[in-house]
Parts: sequence; structure tokens; C-alpha cells
Amino acid sequence: MLKDKLKTALASLNLAQVSDGDYARTGYHLEVAAGPGQMPAVAQAMLDQGCFLESLTAVDLRESFTLVYHFASFDELCRTVVHASLTKETKEAKGAQAPTISLVYPGADWYEREVYDLFGIKFAGHPNLKRLLLPEDADFHPLLKDFGAEPGND
Amino acid sequence: MIELGIEEKTYTLNLGPQHPSTHGVLRVVLEMDGEYITKAEPVIGYGHRGHEHMAENRNYQQFLPNMGRVDYLHALAYNQGYCMAVEKLLGLTVPERGEFIRVILSELNRISSHLVWIGAYLLDLGAFTPILYAFDDRENLLDLLDRITGSRLTYCFYRFGGVPRDLDEEFITGTRAFIKRLRSRFRDYESLVTKNVIFINRTRGVGLITRDQAVKYGLTGPTLRGSGIAYDIRKSEPYSAYPAFDFQIPIGDKGDVFDRYLVRILEMEQSLRIIEQALNQLPNGPIMADKVPKRLKPAAGEVYQAVESARGEFGCYIVSQGDLKPYRIKLRVPSFGNLSILPEVAVDTLVADLVAILGSVDVVIPEIDR
Amino acid sequence: MEAKTGDPLIRLGLLEEALNLARANSLWPLTFGLACCAIEMMAAGMARFDLDRFGAGVFRPSPRQADLMLVAGTISKKMGPAVVRLYEQMPAPKWVIAIGNCAISGGPFNYPSQYAIVPGADLIIPVDVYIPGCPPRPEAIIEAILMLEEKITKRGRLRKFRDVKG
Repeated sequence: MLKDKLKTALASLNLAQVSDGDYARTGYHLEVAAGPGQMPAVAQAMLDQGCFLESLTAVDLRESFTLVYHFASFDELCRTVVHASLTKETKEAKGAQAPTISLVYPGADWYEREVYDLFGIKFAGHPNLKRLLLPEDADFHPLLKDFGAEPGND
Repeated sequence: MIELGIEEKTYTLNLGPQHPSTHGVLRVVLEMDGEYITKAEPVIGYGHRGHEHMAENRNYQQFLPNMGRVDYLHALAYNQGYCMAVEKLLGLTVPERGEFIRVILSELNRISSHLVWIGAYLLDLGAFTPILYAFDDRENLLDLLDRITGSRLTYCFYRFGGVPRDLDEEFITGTRAFIKRLRSRFRDYESLVTKNVIFINRTRGVGLITRDQAVKYGLTGPTLRGSGIAYDIRKSEPYSAYPAFDFQIPIGDKGDVFDRYLVRILEMEQSLRIIEQALNQLPNGPIMADKVPKRLKPAAGEVYQAVESARGEFGCYIVSQGDLKPYRIKLRVPSFGNLSILPEVAVDTLVADLVAILGSVDVVIPEIDR
Repeated sequence: MEAKTGDPLIRLGLLEEALNLARANSLWPLTFGLACCAIEMMAAGMARFDLDRFGAGVFRPSPRQADLMLVAGTISKKMGPAVVRLYEQMPAPKWVIAIGNCAISGGPFNYPSQYAIVPGADLIIPVDVYIPGCPPRPEAIIEAILMLEEKITKRGRLRKFRDVKG
């Protein structure tokens, strides 16, 4: 079973959480929590098991970000979600930063550019971190929670 | 004064954003060495309308019409993905007749999307007749869909819990007649296009995509199935009423442009099979779940729902915090991953081949840009 | 002497009327589909709702050869400069038809904190005919072409030799 193989492969990476997901309620078979710095290793482990990157996005939780990676496989139904919690500002660098997984999955290149464009999260080691959807000279990140919310639309 | 630039052998050519062959507002910056492309970089964002930002400022029902505009050619699949995701959060079950109606309409929409693709793709390659045939078939199909849903293109027909209108007798007889007619038209498509020498020469052996590339770039849909990988959400992760039907997943063997074209033609035939079986097995009963609340406050949590659209896997990722408005909605669109492979596949091809490859990937730009 | 775009410098009376009749019955549209309305524009040019019978079926990819710009779809802020540039590249006399709610006013995407679109084509280029709808039916697009013909010839549709009142 792919799920067990993934659990074994991820067990050696010392991750915060690797547990079964409630498929009927959430659509995940495996739920993983990792630190952003562990993501390249996680991605490599997923690629070795033949999984493809379904989606890469971020959620702005006001005090922090969460990077959400979805992996699935062509051969067997097993969806894995990896949540990586990211602090907004660290002592060393202003603005959130996470390592890139585009060296493992070239398809992540555009997803990470989109996350940078919409949230301002930088990906260290990305070959071409430019804006993707907004004009090159835009100076805002629209999906941040403190970007122009509409008053009372019910 | 002519200077022979020996170092600088490439020149930059800009394709789009207004171009007849880029299927919408896509810009591709090409670096060319004579006629051959050395680098192709798509520039997207010319159709960015801020769907995901709108999602955070709308409640769940208000966001439903947006889903038809994300991918307007197979809008019902996007409707379905979003409705199913919210139904999962709410714990609603759609009654059987509602599921069957959803499948019938969604498969009709898939056929109409493939017909538009055939027409537009062959127009890019220079053939004007197939688009007239394809759009004529499509108009007959749209008459059927228009009758039930009220729209021709950007449908907003499914509701949380089912569908609002039932099928009537005239729709069912009309659909059966349409299935018969389209099957006889496939002979025309075959003799006009599939066996056409010029078409075969332009598409055989062009734009090869390997399995390794497919995994690394996360390809889905006919773009993936042309390379021989039988991954279709309707079979791999069955949802709605699909488990009740018997249909096949066509796959190609070489992974070139011709295989991707053939996969789509064969998929239309399989869609007709599904619709036939669904009409024969259509159960009686309600079409809408009972007790759907008027103010939707889904449970806090997250959900990911994948459906198979004409272009590939559409995934709707919703993060809810128990409010009337979603906290975050991410639309995982198939064209995004499918287009990102272009820089790799387009190297060392001719510009004319680039048009063939770009068309075979079947992108809808507003879906990529959201 | 200043001339607005589209206004001829020399007035030729009856010859101008003949020229306007010729221009109206042979509009060459620019293929400028931006989003969903582009598909309805394509359908309007196809077999069932044939635009060719009105003379407007020759879609030109190059703005230098077109005299009618059909803005079909939402104009994003990134695309805005391209729209203006294409309009400027078209030779006069030229007309613009805004197809769909997005081209008229931003449509369903116009709301207070919208950051990405230009809410209406007439904010950046002059528009002659507006077609509401999301998307409008191809019949509406044909109606718009006929209305534009009326505007160009300044004559009623059915009786081309009769002046339009009002």
C-alpha cells in the first residue's frame, strides 16, 4: 500500500506529525506536518515513491503563514497533505522565507512564484522568483489578510 | 553597415498576448536561433481577475457564479467540484437522481469543451472546415443544455445539495437524438482530420512528453493520458454517480501531439457512453437534499475535492473557520501545471510546432490566471 | 486644424455616404478575445449565427488590417496597455464594440477591493456599442454589429435610404 510506504519513507525524516487523514471528510489519506526547512527532503521522499505535486499554496493565518502541499499518485489513490507553518518575520530576515522544492519538482516553480506573488513569501534557492500573475511592478500582495477587506458583505 | 554578430546567435520574438493561436491572453517570449526555438518562456497574468481574493469576500453561495467563469468551457465540472467540497464540509448528501443529472450535464459539457478544442486547434493549424463542423455540433448540444440550465457557456447550475431543475421528456429525447447524430459525425471527423496527411505530418512525433516529466510537472488530463498514463479522477478517485457506469479511459502510447488529439476524440465517445447509460438508469426521486440551510456555516476545517474536467484534475481546496465566508479557497487548475511544461517541451522545435504543442496542451488562460 | 480620430478632414457629401455604406457593410473585426465572451464571439462567427452574411466575418489577427475592435472579456490591469496599444495601431476610421458586462463596467468582477481589473473598456478606449450579458448570446453580438452599421451610416436598418429620427 502506498500509504504505508510513504509512512515508512517519511518516518526517517523526523517530522512533527505523520498521521492518517479522514478521507470521507477531508479528502486526505495522509496528513503530515513538517517544518519549512524539511520540505526539500519531504519532496524528495515523495518523488522517490512516484507521487506528483498536485498543488502548492499558502494560507495567511494572521500571525503566521501555513504552506500547504498536496501530493497524489498516478498509480494508487493516496492523497497526502503537508502543512508547513511559517513565521512571518524572523530575527535574521524580514519577511517570510522558505526553501524551494522546485529543484526536486520543476512543476513547483510556477506554484512558488504564485505564492510569492500573492503572499510575499520568498523561496530561497528558487531559480526565477518573479511575479507571475500581477504586473511586474506591482507593490502589493493581494491575498494577505490585511489587504483591503470589504466592510460587511453578507 | 552590416556587422556579423558571431556571439549573438539568438533573437527574441514575442508571441502574444494578442495572437490568434495562443488561445486567450497568453504571452510567450521566444528566443530563437534561426527557425529553432532555444528558449520559450510563457508570461501569464493577463487574465488575472482575483477569484481567490473574491472568495474571501463573498459567502459560499455568492462565490458559486465565479466557478463558471474560471474555466468557462467546462463550467459544470467546476461547479461540481466546488459544490462537492462545500457539501463535504456541511455533511450534505446529494440524492441519487441529483447525482445522475449532474453527471449527464457535466458529460455533455465535456463534449462541448472538446468540440471547441478540436475546432480552435485545427484553426490554429490552418484548417478552417473542422471548426464549422465542430461548432455546429456544439450548437445542437448547447440547445439541450440551454433548455435545462438557462445558459450557453458560463453555467451556474448546481446548488449545494443537488440541482435546482429536473430534466424533462424533451431533454431526454433530444439527448438521445444528439448522441445518435454525433456518433455519425465522428466518421466525418475521422476522414476529415484523423486520416488527413497534413495533420498527421504536423502532429506525429512532435511535442513528446515522457512519464518522468509528467510526474515532475504534475500533469493531468488528456495531456497526461496521451503519454500512456491512465489517470482519470473519474476512475481513480470515483465521485458522484460515476461508479455506476461502465466506460474506458483512452490513453496514447507515444506521448506526442497526435496522441493527445486522439485521446480527446475517443473521450468524447466515452462521454456519450456514460450519458447513454445514465439516461437508461436514471432513478426517480428528489433532486435536491432536504434541509439545506439558508445561511451556510460549514464546519471549521479544510477539504480538498478533486474532479475530472476536460483539461485535467480540478481541485478545490477550501479552508473554513466556521464563518459564512470561506477563509481561503485555492483552485487547483489543470492548465497551470500543464502549461508549465512548455519551456521544457518547446526547446529545439520550430515556431509552427510550438503552435501545435501549445494547442495540444489545451489551456484556458483565465483558468491559469484565475 | 485639429481633427478627432475618425473625423475626416475633407467632407465629400454623397461620396462620403457611399463610403460609409461600404465601411458599414464590410467591417473587419480584430480577433481580441480576452475571456469567456470570446467563445460567444467565435460562435457568432460560425455556421449557425453567421456574421459573414453581414460582411463582418473576416476576423483579422493584425490590428493594422482591422477596423473594428471587439473587446470580448475582462481587461486586466496587466492587459490594459496592450489594449490601448492595439487600438492605437488600428488605422482610422475605427470602431469599438464592448462585448459583455466585463468590458462595459467590470461585470461580476467589479467590487470595492478589486485590485486586478480595469472596470470597463471605455475607461481606456472610446467605445461605440455596448452589449450587456454574461456572456451575451451570439444574436446580441449580431444586433450590435447592425446597430454599429446604423451608427456609421446614420441611416435606419431596414430602409437604408431613410434618415434615422432622433
